[in-house]
Amino acid sequence: MSAQKPTVFEHEHAGPPSVAASTTIFLALAGLTAMALLVGFLELGALKVWVSLAIALVQAAVVGVFSMDLKQSDKLTWLVVAASIFWTFLLFLFTLTDFLTRHYFAF
Amino acid sequence: MATSNAHATEGGTPPIVAHHFNNLRQQQSSVRFGMWLFLVTEVLFFAGVICAYTCYRILYPIEFEAASTALNPLIAGINSFLLLTSSFTMSLAIRAAYNGNQPGLKMWLAVTILLGTAFLGFKAREYYVDFEEGLIPSAKTAIVSDHDSHSVLDAHKTLSLFGQKLEHVLKEKKYYKEHPEKLKEVDFDRARLFFVFYYSMTGLHVVHMIVGIGLLVWQLVLANLGFFRPQERYVYVEVLGLYWHFVEVVWIFLLPLLYMAGHHHADHLHL
Amino acid sequence: MSTETRNINVMELDYTPQTAPPVRDVDGPPAVHYLNNDYGWLSWLLTVDHKRIGILYLVSVSIFFLFGGLAAGLVRINLLQPTGAILELDQYNKAFTAHGTIMLFLFLIPVVPGVLGNFFVPMMIGAKDMAFPKLNLASWYVYIFGAAFFVAVLLIGGLDTGWTFYPPYSSKYSHMNVLLAGLGVFITGFSSILTGLNIIATIHKMRAPGMTWGRMPLFVWAMYATSVIQILGTPVLAVTIVLLAVERLFGVGIFDPSLGGDPLLFQHLFWYYSHPAVYIMILPGMGVINEVITCFSRKNIFGYKAVAWSTIGIAVVGFLVWGHHMFLSGQGVYLGMVFSIITMLVAVPSAIKVFNWTATLYQGSISFQAPMLFVLGFIVLFTIGGLTGLFLGVMGTDIHLHDTYFIVAHFHFTMVGGMMFAWQAGLHFWWPKMTGRMYSDFWSRLAAVTMLVGFTLTFLPQFVAGYHGMPRRYPYYPPEFQMLNILSTAGASIQGIGYAMPLFYLTASLFFGRRAGANPWRATGLEWQTPSPPTMHNFEELPIVTHGPYEYSMPSRYALETGPETVHENGHTGKEGAKSGH
Repeated sequence: MSAQKPTVFEHEHAGPPSVAASTTIFLALAGLTAMALLVGFLELGALKVWVSLAIALVQAAVVGVFSMDLKQSDKLTWLVVAASIFWTFLLFLFTLTDFLTRHYFAF
Repeated sequence: MATSNAHATEGGTPPIVAHHFNNLRQQQSSVRFGMWLFLVTEVLFFAGVICAYTCYRILYPIEFEAASTALNPLIAGINSFLLLTSSFTMSLAIRAAYNGNQPGLKMWLAVTILLGTAFLGFKAREYYVDFEEGLIPSAKTAIVSDHDSHSVLDAHKTLSLFGQKLEHVLKEKKYYKEHPEKLKEVDFDRARLFFVFYYSMTGLHVVHMIVGIGLLVWQLVLANLGFFRPQERYVYVEVLGLYWHFVEVVWIFLLPLLYMAGHHHADHLHL
Repeated sequence: MSTETRNINVMELDYTPQTAPPVRDVDGPPAVHYLNNDYGWLSWLLTVDHKRIGILYLVSVSIFFLFGGLAAGLVRINLLQPTGAILELDQYNKAFTAHGTIMLFLFLIPVVPGVLGNFFVPMMIGAKDMAFPKLNLASWYVYIFGAAFFVAVLLIGGLDTGWTFYPPYSSKYSHMNVLLAGLGVFITGFSSILTGLNIIATIHKMRAPGMTWGRMPLFVWAMYATSVIQILGTPVLAVTIVLLAVERLFGVGIFDPSLGGDPLLFQHLFWYYSHPAVYIMILPGMGVINEVITCFSRKNIFGYKAVAWSTIGIAVVGFLVWGHHMFLSGQGVYLGMVFSIITMLVAVPSAIKVFNWTATLYQGSISFQAPMLFVLGFIVLFTIGGLTGLFLGVMGTDIHLHDTYFIVAHFHFTMVGGMMFAWQAGLHFWWPKMTGRMYSDFWSRLAAVTMLVGFTLTFLPQFVAGYHGMPRRYPYYPPEFQMLNILSTAGASIQGIGYAMPLFYLTASLFFGRRAGANPWRATGLEWQTPSPPTMHNFEELPIVTHGPYEYSMPSRYALETGPETVHENGHTGKEGAKSGH
């Protein structure tokens, strides 16, 4: 019985972000949002959608890691987030492949 | 944190740790985990509609860009900042609950509710303007007389009502005034598809906002009843915060996909 | 120094329970257990006890199964004649749609997670309840409301689109209650999501000390994998139904080709969920098989790790194969090839399980009570069903077999011969634990054989009809298929009798059955160390798990005091340090 590992739930949770941390996050996100809005007014051609999605990804990452406290979450929570992203990727992968390659002939 | 166990406190109020949990940490850990699992389902839910949108964006890029140009970037921008600020105030509410600061908690919850409601207000205004401009996708068609046409066949063509309205709106946009040949490339009937997604996606987002605001109101009521006086219960505000931040992340993606795809210009900023 | 003799019961067990020594062996039902600790309608309708919620699911799922079965009866009777015996064309469409939707959404998906999952996952891991008991009750209410609403929609007006709801027929041309039916499915989908969420949280956070992942019963692994599929797949179905509703309600073309839409997009989104859905249906059944086969062979499962990982493998790889439902739809050929290859791969974990079960049987001490008969039936029938799936997974043969009765037979072999039989196995295995009563051995074995004979007679001819080209979902068929259809309908009648039989002998057992005792099957799991029926909180003290789940091959010997306490002159009772009951 001594070979059992103690049941670990989470390392001691240090609590939600402090007021200072929340303010920093807010300012960072405000800056990113301004950038995101600015992109709509620029003529970037084909790059436009990729730039705006890149900014959105950074914003989402900031919200996730800092506001939603992934920074101090346990590995299980990270796994759950990674799984949701991966399964979304699977949905996109096969469906978009159909749309992009439907016109290829095999013979 | 204190690991209090079972047994009712303050005569009749529910115990801090529920009977089926062994200790507080197990309970808090489970509550957080449960909310993350629910957010997984929400991610997949929005992923479905975004995938559908992406497929059509690939098929009809010109129509989607044109339709996006007809949207209102000023209201979208205001809403983005409202939501962003509400996320900030939500974090402050969580911190207040963690510290046992009851007045702070109630204030920040109330501010978050106000900001969320303001978002809905601006959204309502945005939808109203869209309706006024006639940008409602429907299958209704009308016969259009084209007096400038020299061909008898083209003189009366069938164009959807929506298409006519959209053309009318886009003709005023600076980008299409400068590049009228781009306007000719647009199939206005196909652009209907964009608006179906626009209303569906923002509509689903609005539904999630309404539910979130409802839950915030409920937590405000609970706070007034002293439910959050035991500081251990901050975790419930925290998980509502997780949901609220998730709704913000959805908006973070809707903004570039729906609004920022178009060719906006500062000349057209209006409420 | 004088010592009074104590009553020490030396338990010689031909298995090793998961906590050793085992908790005090209890015969007879406890005075207060979960069924009689509270009386009245409200105590059931407002319960948060996972065991009562399991019973609520049992009753409601059985009622909806009856509806689905009646619809099946209508279909089979109609097919007695090549020009349709009793139904008009529209009515036939409504009948097979009702049968499909009810059986899938209202029976197969919720049955094992709702009944056996709710009842036994907490007990098997040594917990007092699920992680979120109130959510558990809410999940049942969502199910019952959605299901009742859905059945009402089917009865008032009906639905004729087939369970697959393909647009543009469902969005533009069908005159039936597509919107309302979609709403019903949407609501019951929520129940599925909430149950899955609860089970995942429970398994991660509520395991008793010593219950490592490697010591969990494989039924729990199966419920975990099922729940992962539920939370990842069901939301996509939900949003697809929303988009379909938008299209139908507002007349706009999301999937309508005439308005620029693509019907294949619906099919991709639909099958992204609906293929993993079949794994939601079968994995819990496979979990049950693991429990029953080990107990009735008195043998440890062969290859625990292989079975556990193949369960996860099915859950993951099952998300990558949905295009095999769309080989003939017009999707890209290269994509079809990819789906085909991965479909071949997804058969591997299922095959691994079948091999492991067979190896478990080998040199076991096998007895043939009803649960085991159902298990053996499952292994044979599911294997046939799975193998015939390979013909469908290969694009070339699928061109010929798609939309024929070959497919119908394939999925009935896996779903009915597989899942239904597994459900019966689980119900019969755990009935004594849930109710404290044993049912008639003779009648249960007879029911199992009847179901087996009826099932085989119903669906084996359908393979033949299918590869000779008889199409599915048609109310009429060429006269040369009539004999096969008559055989099939005859089998269906026998099956019907088979399914009705448990209703009688299981109900009779509640009143006349002999008392079961804590562990009538001498099984090893934690749930068998509680009294039958279990008490409110399952375990009076926290169980400490020291052994794996299927230690049938290791006979154990424990001394348990069952008599009155004895005190020595020196004041010791001798119980210090030993884990005792209360």
